[in-house]
Amino acid sequence: MRMFMSQFAAARPGLTAGDSSPRSTATRYRRLGMTVFALAVACSAFAQDLLIRDATILTVSHGKIEHGSIFVHGGKIAAVGTNDQVTGPSNAQIIDASGKFVMPGIIDTHSHTAVEGSVNEISLPNTGMVRIRDVLTNEDIDVYRQLAGGTTTALVLHGSANPIGGQSQIVKWKWGHPVSEWPVSDAPRTIKFALGENPKSSNFRPPPGIPAQYPQTRMGVEEVIRQSFTDAKDYIARWDDYEAKRKRGETPIPPRHDILMETMVDILKGKIDVHSHCYRADEIMMLLNVADEEGFKIRELQHVLEGYKVAKEIAAHGVGGGTFIDWWGFKAEAYDAIPYNVALMNNAGILTSVNSDSAELARHLNQDAAKAMKYGGLSEEEALKLCTLNGAKQLRLDHRIGSIDVGKDADIVIWTGHPFSTYSRVETTLVDGEILFDRQKDLSLRKQLAQEKKDRLKKEADDEAKNKKKPGKSDDDAKPEVTNEN
Amino acid sequence: MKTKAFVLAMFVASAAFAQSVIINSPGKKGTVAIRNATIVPVSSATIPNGTIVFSNGLITGVGASVNIPLNATIIDGTGLFVYPGLIDAGSHVGLEEISAVPGTVDTAELGDINPNARAEVAVNPHSNVIPVTRVNGITSVVTEPEGGIISGSSAMINLAGWTPQEMTLKAPLAMHIHFPRLRTNAFDEQPQDEEATKEAAKNYTKQIDKLRDVFRDAQAYSKASAARTQNASIKRIDRDLILEALVPVVEGREAVVMHANLERDIRAALKFADEFKLKVILADAEDVARVIPELKSRNIPVILGPILSLPPREDDPYDLVFSNAKTLNDAGIPFAIQSQDAHNARNLPYNAAACAAFGLPKDVALRSVTLAPAQIFGVADKIGSLETGKLANIIVTDGDPLEIVTHVKRLFIGGEEITLDTNQTLLYEKFKSRP
Amino acid sequence: MSRRFLCFSVVSLLFLAASAFADAPGVYAITGGTVHPVSGPEIANGVVIIRDGLIESVGVNVAIPLDATVIDVKGSHVYPGLIDAQTSLGFPSATATRRRGGGAGARTAAPEALPETGPSFLAFREAKLSDDDLDAKRGTGVTTIVTAPAFGIFNGQSVALNLSSGTMESRVIRNPVSQQISFNPRPAWTYPDSLMGVISYIRQTFMDAQQYSAARAIYDKNPAGYKRPDESPSLEALGGVLHRDVPVVFVADSELMIRRAEAIAKEFNVRMIIGGARQGYKMGDELKSLGAPVLVSTKWATAPTAKEDREEQPLRVIRDRQLQPTTPAVLAKSGVLFALVSGAGKTADYFAGIRKAIENGLSADDALKATTINPAKIIGIDRQLGSLDRGKIANIVITDKPIFDKESKVKRIFVDGREAKVPTEDEKKKSASTSTGTGVDGTWSFVVKATSGDVNISATLHVENGQISGTYSGDHGSGDVGNGTFDGTTVQFSIAGGGKEEAGDWVFHGTLHGANMDGTVATTLGTFPFTGSKK
Repeated sequence: MRMFMSQFAAARPGLTAGDSSPRSTATRYRRLGMTVFALAVACSAFAQDLLIRDATILTVSHGKIEHGSIFVHGGKIAAVGTNDQVTGPSNAQIIDASGKFVMPGIIDTHSHTAVEGSVNEISLPNTGMVRIRDVLTNEDIDVYRQLAGGTTTALVLHGSANPIGGQSQIVKWKWGHPVSEWPVSDAPRTIKFALGENPKSSNFRPPPGIPAQYPQTRMGVEEVIRQSFTDAKDYIARWDDYEAKRKRGETPIPPRHDILMETMVDILKGKIDVHSHCYRADEIMMLLNVADEEGFKIRELQHVLEGYKVAKEIAAHGVGGGTFIDWWGFKAEAYDAIPYNVALMNNAGILTSVNSDSAELARHLNQDAAKAMKYGGLSEEEALKLCTLNGAKQLRLDHRIGSIDVGKDADIVIWTGHPFSTYSRVETTLVDGEILFDRQKDLSLRKQLAQEKKDRLKKEADDEAKNKKKPGKSDDDAKPEVTNEN
Repeated sequence: MKTKAFVLAMFVASAAFAQSVIINSPGKKGTVAIRNATIVPVSSATIPNGTIVFSNGLITGVGASVNIPLNATIIDGTGLFVYPGLIDAGSHVGLEEISAVPGTVDTAELGDINPNARAEVAVNPHSNVIPVTRVNGITSVVTEPEGGIISGSSAMINLAGWTPQEMTLKAPLAMHIHFPRLRTNAFDEQPQDEEATKEAAKNYTKQIDKLRDVFRDAQAYSKASAARTQNASIKRIDRDLILEALVPVVEGREAVVMHANLERDIRAALKFADEFKLKVILADAEDVARVIPELKSRNIPVILGPILSLPPREDDPYDLVFSNAKTLNDAGIPFAIQSQDAHNARNLPYNAAACAAFGLPKDVALRSVTLAPAQIFGVADKIGSLETGKLANIIVTDGDPLEIVTHVKRLFIGGEEITLDTNQTLLYEKFKSRP
Repeated sequence: MSRRFLCFSVVSLLFLAASAFADAPGVYAITGGTVHPVSGPEIANGVVIIRDGLIESVGVNVAIPLDATVIDVKGSHVYPGLIDAQTSLGFPSATATRRRGGGAGARTAAPEALPETGPSFLAFREAKLSDDDLDAKRGTGVTTIVTAPAFGIFNGQSVALNLSSGTMESRVIRNPVSQQISFNPRPAWTYPDSLMGVISYIRQTFMDAQQYSAARAIYDKNPAGYKRPDESPSLEALGGVLHRDVPVVFVADSELMIRRAEAIAKEFNVRMIIGGARQGYKMGDELKSLGAPVLVSTKWATAPTAKEDREEQPLRVIRDRQLQPTTPAVLAKSGVLFALVSGAGKTADYFAGIRKAIENGLSADDALKATTINPAKIIGIDRQLGSLDRGKIANIVITDKPIFDKESKVKRIFVDGREAKVPTEDEKKKSASTSTGTGVDGTWSFVVKATSGDVNISATLHVENGQISGTYSGDHGSGDVGNGTFDGTTVQFSIAGGGKEEAGDWVFHGTLHGANMDGTVATTLGTFPFTGSKK
């Protein structure tokens, strides 16, 4: 990575590490900051040609390639095959992966990482007007930790406090990049629904002084959903009315543009995919039926821990299932959760993925996928899809991610061993052909960062001591107490 | 097959959904020999084509060629592996059924000082969590209370038995103390307002003072009780069950599992332990790498885990928790791995494997969930390895139990073969056969 | 009506007499000092002539009018009075609610004893500026402020005020200056209680304002046949913003937050000003191309006092707090139009923050511009203030050393051409020490100086957790004291209005000075001063 540093630093204005200004505090601090910033940015270099050589490639889509190579160009997979079949241009950076395993970046279809502020807008039963996209942050260290576990794409969701939650966002974990680059450009719009104990507030009560909120039963959850779609249809009618009047040459007063209603309308029009949190078989059936009756489609059921009980029905509706494999018993509705759920759903023809709902679990979704081999006897091929291609399909991004195929994004992870072995770990993670995690680089930077922290704190402490030395000129003495302001 | 059908029928008929219908211990402690298997005793080298014999609940022979008694039931272990049953060094198995339903949770008593709370009395032998835990080869766990500062004493239990008494191997095992934390919340970006910081510091000091007071009282009580046993003429004092529970602790006969996570808290805990000359086992301890000399000089073993957890600080290396085992191993400090879980204590072996992925030798990883916890908790004479005279807590697998894809094929606790069925496998069977 | 007005003006005059202003005919010649006009180079041994509240001339060889009182300030520095373009002076502080991400768990609701704000909230009407507030702020060299409350989401319409005595009406330089929007989530269970909720709420409100405007246009043109639109002062008030007549100050400090504000401003095509911008150092050139003026709050992030706590902080946080004070220098270099403001900080922090910015690369010249002509431009009052030029308002501050020097002291202040008293060091110290005095608890005798004469009220007050309760009796009847708050220095409570002419409560708003209190009482018949002493 070091070879890029100088080129890159020179290319970007303002990142001149060799600033020859005087010894002012500002410059010194800024220089320190800029140096490391330059390092960090430059080391996560712009997409350049890469050749990953001599690995065991788990393509996910077309089997295993022993002693295989991948040529990455322009952020995409340009070629995949055996070592002889794939050679890159001479200027390609070579990553020697002999003895290692390569698989596509893992896709987590249930994440709450990288959200600024609360992940729930608790206040109303339908908060479809809020958008996760508005509050993404690129400062959450858990993103980096997930890259270190091989996860490269996530569906970041509103929480499960409401029957209809906010609009979610599909992102790539583009650590080091401005957050505006994280949302996947051609990803579908998505929204969160939640059924069961969480939206009916079974397990948490408002503090004293705030009344209990509707709904309190699964019946109420259904009512909220039906009412929302009913309102949406009235909203459409109002606007149709308005347009009709205008066509007739009248000047009607326009109705309100209501963000929430427009979101519901877009769901009806199929412009927003519904990913619904659910647990119990009865509430799954409820949603499948309400969807039919109200005229919208469910893309994926999430958690869906009792999916196995109604696998037939879910499959018949063409709905996917994204779940964590062995968590159970943390709530009453999770009591009948079984790790065989994934296998049973998968075998019933449901497009099934494993996801995390946890910043920690998102670091080892490969292991959850492996568990499907143990619990239910899925083959290695099927199990690999659970954390890659199937999630890509659920997110309608399988034309771009989810397998190692020519033309797809170079979201690639290099492992020390087979990803289903608990003894393996991630060495390198690429997103769009750019190395965003590399263990060796991580190790080498530790000392440097620790030193920078030490230096900065020392400088701060020294400056403070200097200021204290000046006789009696503390700013606190100079100005009187003032009232009535924050 | 018949047993399964019967169990299935029982399950369907079962009214109470939270109670297990899986048979705990069939009561048959016959003589069994497993031969032609790869035997991994842990306490000694792996035996590639070995035999293990157990009878009447105890291991009677392990080796390359062992005499098989005439009345032995022979299990052909070709292609299979035999390991000691795994041991979880810290869990809440049996104490928790549905985490969000308080009526089913018995891990944390009210108040800060509960040394007389004993985990073993609250273990539910028919919890559905127990069969689920066995599924990946765990045969014994330390089950412990949490909550407050002095949480109570833990128990080492076998995951088989019809009553808590039948299950309990050793209790009280250790006294668990969750040492007060200087900071209860994450490291806020803006400095906490002065008020909040002062409040937190005040509370912290109060808690430590409370702890110190009760320990001083326990010392005094211990002295007075001892004196009275020597000399009956000394004036009688009313019994104090709380202090009584601490007497073995202050006398150094019962170990204290000191739960502390961050460096400052660990140091404060060690200082406290020094003051009262406690026999300490450090637990949780994400910052363990920062206190190696302090642990070494005091001969303090460590319980690490859960390993699959996030580092506490933003700046901590991403593999901090994964690497701690290697650090301890390199420093020669004994350690074991805990799940700190109930429902997914079954993932204990994968926590150990995670340490091996980050530098710990594989055999040490295996040891950290077998012999090491047995040694640390003083039950190594009974469990933790395949040795003659120990309990026949044995698992037969088709591979390395620390690998996810491995299946545990058969499981023995105290020489009895326990079914690997669980409520989950029964549900699986039920819905697999839905027409 | 007229009699009441006369009484009121008499009271006002008496009030003025008791204030910090010196009596003067209004013509001054300030001579001998180094004059810093800001609009031009500094003038050694310069002269500034003030007449009738305005600057008559500035220069080096200016003829001194015969009727002028000459003020020789040899050795001193003469500046335009500074303009602090973002404060919340006159408003209670917001209760800080700590926000942490994640989870569907319950959170506690913060007590909301603060007034409701909204787009039609007028800072001009609701600000309660005590004399002490004014003296303290003015004593630092600031003679003009913009103020609006910091709590709520739509904080309301801010106002630019000269820090003169007298009525609020007489202080106004510009009203409104802007609509202010802060991204403060409401307490849990009240929409919007998350940051994303706040953003949607703001967007929806703007959409509603657009619809309201369209609806009113249609209806007002010819109401026949239409269901009449509901009256909405809030949405009405946003009309100015949608028409780009009134700018919006978005309170945003982090780079992420600034971008979110930018997105909203673009979506609704409103004129944006960024308030806070303490991470502006990350995006100097971008802010330049964005074209929005920036109010940089000088309340830089501070380090925790304990060394161990600092070591626990992420490097990212440490870097950020060390780089924040470089923001003004970065913005200056990028050519962004910016002002230095208190923002979230207290009066005492303002100058310390400015000095820190200078230590971190901002030139003293740019610092001066950022506290005079720049804020004047941003507020839209640069034809009246921001430099020493003929025709501009005579707000002048005279210091013994260059104004941003650490040891610099304010010697004299002029606001609207009248000299204001500069609190002496002793007075400052006294005020500082006594305000942490004996507290509010106890029995008080208050004297309200109403138009009709003194009103004597006796009250027994008790403070608990910042809330005041108690009883009162005396000339104005008796009863319970209500809505009482005390934050260490500011006292606020109300008693029943009473009498057939009065509808609302009497709201007392005062400052505690040990065993004494003074301030104002707001009633529906006017605002009157009061004093109080403990029995």
